[in-house]
Amino acid sequence: MTTNPPDDADQGAPDRPTRWHGPLAVMNRVRKGVDLLLGWLCIIVFVALVAIVAWQVFTREVLNNTAPWTQEAAQYSFVVLAMIAAAYVFSERGHIAVEILIEKLPLLWRRAAAVVIELIVIFFIVTVFIIGGIAVAQNAWHQSLSSLPLTIGEIYMIMPIAGVLILFYSIVQIIGLIAGVEDPTPDTNDISEAI
Amino acid sequence: SGGAGNGGEGDGGSTSTTVMKLALNQPETHPSFIALEAFGEQLKEDTDGRWDIEVHANSTLGNQDEYLQSVSQGVIDLAIVSAPQLENLNKDFVLFSLPKVFDDIDHQMSVLSDDEIVGDLYGSLAESNNIDVVGGLTQGERSIYLKDTIAETPADLEGKKIRVQESPVFMAMIEALGASPTPLPFGDVYSGLQSGVVDGAENNEISYFSNKHHEVAPYFSFTRHLVGADFLIINSDTLSEMSEEDRAAFDEGWTAAWEQHTELWKTDTEKAIADAEAGGAEFSEVDTEAFTEALEPLLDEFLTEDSQTTLYEAIRGAAE
Amino acid sequence: MDPITLIAAVVLIAGIAIGIAIGLPVAVAMGLPSAIAIFILLGEWDGATFTAAQKIFQGSNSFSLLAIPFFILAGGLMNTGGIAARLIDLAQVVAGRLPASLAQTTVVANTMFGAVSGASVASAAAIGTVLTPRMRQEKYDPAFSAAVNAASSPAGMLIPPSNTFIVYSLVSSTSIGALFMAGVGPGLLWAVVCVTVVALYARKHPELRMPKGTPRPTFGQTMIVFLKALPALLMIFVVIGGILSGFFTATESAVIAVLYCFILGLIQRTLPVRELPKIILEASKVTGIIMLLIGVSGILGYVLAFARIPQLVTEGLLGFTDNVVVVLIIIMIVLLLAGTVMDPTPAILIFTPIFLPVVTAMGVSPIHFGAMMVFNMCLGNISPPIGNNLFVAARVGNVRIEKVITRLWPFFWALVVGLFIVAFVPALSMWLPETLGLIR
Ligand code: NA
Ligand code: NA
Repeated sequence: MTTNPPDDADQGAPDRPTRWHGPLAVMNRVRKGVDLLLGWLCIIVFVALVAIVAWQVFTREVLNNTAPWTQEAAQYSFVVLAMIAAAYVFSERGHIAVEILIEKLPLLWRRAAAVVIELIVIFFIVTVFIIGGIAVAQNAWHQSLSSLPLTIGEIYMIMPIAGVLILFYSIVQIIGLIAGVEDPTPDTNDISEAI
Repeated sequence: SGGAGNGGEGDGGSTSTTVMKLALNQPETHPSFIALEAFGEQLKEDTDGRWDIEVHANSTLGNQDEYLQSVSQGVIDLAIVSAPQLENLNKDFVLFSLPKVFDDIDHQMSVLSDDEIVGDLYGSLAESNNIDVVGGLTQGERSIYLKDTIAETPADLEGKKIRVQESPVFMAMIEALGASPTPLPFGDVYSGLQSGVVDGAENNEISYFSNKHHEVAPYFSFTRHLVGADFLIINSDTLSEMSEEDRAAFDEGWTAAWEQHTELWKTDTEKAIADAEAGGAEFSEVDTEAFTEALEPLLDEFLTEDSQTTLYEAIRGAAE
Repeated sequence: MDPITLIAAVVLIAGIAIGIAIGLPVAVAMGLPSAIAIFILLGEWDGATFTAAQKIFQGSNSFSLLAIPFFILAGGLMNTGGIAARLIDLAQVVAGRLPASLAQTTVVANTMFGAVSGASVASAAAIGTVLTPRMRQEKYDPAFSAAVNAASSPAGMLIPPSNTFIVYSLVSSTSIGALFMAGVGPGLLWAVVCVTVVALYARKHPELRMPKGTPRPTFGQTMIVFLKALPALLMIFVVIGGILSGFFTATESAVIAVLYCFILGLIQRTLPVRELPKIILEASKVTGIIMLLIGVSGILGYVLAFARIPQLVTEGLLGFTDNVVVVLIIIMIVLLLAGTVMDPTPAILIFTPIFLPVVTAMGVSPIHFGAMMVFNMCLGNISPPIGNNLFVAARVGNVRIEKVITRLWPFFWALVVGLFIVAFVPALSMWLPETLGLIR
């Protein structure tokens, strides 16, 4: 969790003006579009989750006849929600990180460190989410679920998809850092992130 | 992917040991763990330390649906998976979770170890999934237990909520008996029985006692509606890396292992029944014919393919 | 330990420590070294990435953990839905006559809000937003006000429902119902400790006493406040009663809580419908953060199991001492130190598989250990340099963190004493679940 109390000296403000105005504006618009899409996807899947589990309780307790598909449907919608929401959080760099050491560095160093961090994130995402995710999806492509007309492998594809989205966000981030429009240690909303 | 399990080298002098990781979702007191540990020791001795098995109990290497993927990939070499897991790869495995297919544990084990009957089935996943089925272990006869009464006939189950694992076969089975199948995560069954969210559940005697379900559902009716099975699966590449001699030792060790397991299962079952009775449970025989009659239609419902019917007939043919 | 295992262990520990220190997202700082350690143990990179992907996916492939997003969403709906304000009014009726009454009210309100919400930070935000301005008006030291809020808000992590206990139940394979009940005693102890520290503070600050002759609220006024808070309090019965009676599983009770808060907000007209997408999106984000952490901790757990590291730690610790008191003290110190910088979720996911086998081998109940561990994590949440409740309390109180910290120390050390009580008086955690027949 980052910490910038409101009355702390604000060392992290990005220094404008910036390079590459035109392309950056396009990039930002694309990113906003992806954000919007992912955000609504999260909301829709979350609402579906609530509905599925509520339906499970209702069919069991009221109709006395549990709908058999509800458990698997809930479980795998949850996987989908977790994956796309995790990707969405990468857009804001909202994942928990300990930045007390980094924050002590001068701006240029912080920017360099932020680029290194993004590169490590990219390595992790490409190898595990994309390459590893595709490998498991392939492996489990014919492993059917018990009560839904889907296979485990098909659902696993959400992982490389989330990976590509995170990769996109990381690349945007790096470009922004180099152009000088991204804050290397952003001050995000603690309350929404806090657990 | 054959490089799995080369982590434990340098155990005994000049030979290097290939340690195969075996994933198991049971605790270390379970007959499966005891028999598989003994299997590993025997294998190591018989192959002069070239092969060994390291059993990882308690699901520490993941869940059963992951075992299929990991063994297929070669990340782990061996795993114990239940019949419904393999059913997700090859529908013919449904036979091993259908009611009234096996008469008893001995009939089941004679089939599970009969190459004539199950040989092709056990090899059917090699090409598609890089998995070979080594053999089966019994999971015992499953029966129904209730909170408040013995179920002598299916009529006694009328309208009762019975906890099942979430599988179409199990749901259909409970429905065929006139009860209401209620899927519930296994960890919630005790409290579910206690509070009445379900009126009963079904399982084998060992699980019934070791999970203390007898405390909250003391009426155990020997419906013996099905005989459950687990399977030992192995990565096909690992298997093919064994020399002929080592493979023979492996097969021999496995035979000794499942035989020991079956014996253990029977003695543990008797002990579980005695202990549960001491804890206040009541065990009772039922009108077996009435249950068989109610469950038999399920066979038609689930045996839809010729290969399944052929297998079913072969299994019934092996019944004494 | 054979050399390969040793190398893997070193890479794992050093990798995680360096990754966290340089500011990598904790999920990546945990996940990448774990994947590399699998590579070292397995000897092949394909298998390592395969397993890592599998574990991240499986992390959220669990019906029990579904309770987490639901409780987060319920908390979000409550925050917006005015439930916090009603609970504060009730807390003031309870604590209003005590010296330093607004500080005591903060403690009671945090405890009550904790009892209806799954996450304690929401409590610090909701309660602090309302109460710290009032405390400023009444001439409380703002740093003290924020410290009281920070110190008392983690009670909600101990008092059910609690996402932290759900995470612990996942890694320890213990019953959520039993853990929830085990948290009640330590949660109330937490509140009592805070009340005591505030009372001692009030003795030194007579100006915070209520002027003599302040009228008591009438019975009628009290009833109105109580009735207004009743729907929120009823949620405790819906959630906890539902789980205990077996009417719902924890997951289902969480979804019932969501529907309950939603309908309550609509009826009371405190929940604007157009705010809903935002609330759900916020809950999604927190879900994404937690579930990715749980997922990568699955990779870590796999490495530990694969290399049999918990067994090695158990043997090592038991070879060093077989005194359960010494072992528990060592574990508490390690967790306190880890808690100063780590969040509860990753800390529980990392340390439970290592320490739980040690203590269970010595006869400690996993349920009792869970209560102790979560109490430990609550302390971590208020301890500098990194502590969510501390940050949020400082922010909503509009005070510099350093100033809050100086006021926080008395609470911290008193709560450390509380931790020892939780650790060495098992009955405090175990009595309730045992009495209710939840522990077998
Ligand atoms: Na709570
Ligand atoms: Na801390």
